[in-house]
Amino acid sequence: MLLPNGQSSIRDASAKSRITPLLKHLVTLNRRPITVRERMLSHVLLFFEDVIKVPLFRCQRCGECILSSTAFICSQNCPKRLRNGPCGGTGEGGSCEVFPDRKCVWYRIYFRSRLLHRVSLLYKINSIHNWNLEKTSAWVNLFRGRIQGATLFLRNDTQRVKDIIADDAARKA
Amino acid sequence: MTLQEKLESNQFVVCGEIAPPQSCDGNLIRDRSRHFKGHVDALNITDNQRAIVRLSSISSAKILLDEGIEPIIQMTCRDRNRLAIQSDLLGAAALGIRNVLCLTGDHQTFGDQPEAKGVFDLDSIQLIAAVATMNSGFLLSGFEMKKPPEFLIGAAANPFAEPFEMRLIRLHKKIAAGARFIQTQAVFDLGVFARWMERVVEMGLHEKAAILPGVMPVRSAKRLLWMREKLPGMRIPAEYFNRMSQARNPEEEGITMAVEMIRALKNMRGVRGIHIMPSLWESVTPTIVKEAGLHVAH
Repeated sequence: MLLPNGQSSIRDASAKSRITPLLKHLVTLNRRPITVRERMLSHVLLFFEDVIKVPLFRCQRCGECILSSTAFICSQNCPKRLRNGPCGGTGEGGSCEVFPDRKCVWYRIYFRSRLLHRVSLLYKINSIHNWNLEKTSAWVNLFRGRIQGATLFLRNDTQRVKDIIADDAARKA
Repeated sequence: MTLQEKLESNQFVVCGEIAPPQSCDGNLIRDRSRHFKGHVDALNITDNQRAIVRLSSISSAKILLDEGIEPIIQMTCRDRNRLAIQSDLLGAAALGIRNVLCLTGDHQTFGDQPEAKGVFDLDSIQLIAAVATMNSGFLLSGFEMKKPPEFLIGAAANPFAEPFEMRLIRLHKKIAAGARFIQTQAVFDLGVFARWMERVVEMGLHEKAAILPGVMPVRSAKRLLWMREKLPGMRIPAEYFNRMSQARNPEEEGITMAVEMIRALKNMRGVRGIHIMPSLWESVTPTIVKEAGLHVAH
């Protein structure tokens, strides 16, 4: 495997390392190395991506876009850059604990999700960010299978939420 | 009996909490922990809480182990990236620490060194999943360990922060990721907590993780005011203030209110224990445990 700097990763050399299904969902791995050609392509595509995403969503260019599961509000505007929901410090009226004059990003995400009937997507555990993807094109990363695709249309949101909760209860029994 | 065994056998557990000193004085931890010995099942040790540098949580936990108290270390994502988190956890496991509470951590701007870089490589839910992965024998790199740790994973919940529904979603995610006990933010507003607990039971989450609501005995009205203003995510009703400021003996009133709170929480459906957080008032613990009729098995 090639790292961004062209060196091979130690992970391949170790015979003992194995990517379990649990890990595959938890960490966005470097799998599919970022090649030099891909970086150049990423640069070009990032221009078009920025033109759309920066003014519309205040995109922070994390390269691992989860906009579709956060009701099209960029979660990376959170001071802690949380990807899985608000921290415990959201104040009354939904103010951010770090910048009280701002609304908590996840507070906005929750209410927008309700408005757009996308609450069931908030139950998904988003994977640990791969910092090598920072400032790369999410479109390229999606195309290369590093990150999951967007969920654009969603039906029966209420039922989905019920299913998620019921599924979990069943697993225990 | 360890905390895990107690939770598995459905016992009502009592946890305490201490903050390590802002110096290398290990005796201070011993002194503070003495108030808890024999009165709690396990003792939380905060990890640079409110982003103020303190003696490390894991080192303090080792001191508690030597004192014969079961520690629960807190692990925050503010100060460590994934490498440091895994390495610290392996170290903790090697020292015989079995319980870990996974937190995101207060933002660094709340502390005494707001210029610091906050790491937040993982968030609390990803941290829980990472510890669960380690328990299953793998590091986040996919490396299979010869001897995996056996952590009892805990998480925090704040039923009082907004939006209410999002808190339940987050709790659901934390439990799905592998949390086995949940310590909540200090309860002052019983009404909101009861509403939250009702929903938790409705979702069936109380069966998968032990819910331990937090109780914070308060010494004076001044301290209460400080808490409301300085601690993020605290909700203290006006009624509580009035009682405290009108009391002739605020300390006694503080104990009475904490005991009343514990009694009310104990009878709530789904509550499996109490988490007592006597911040800077450790000596009150035995009194509260005794007056509230909490029994600690050994």
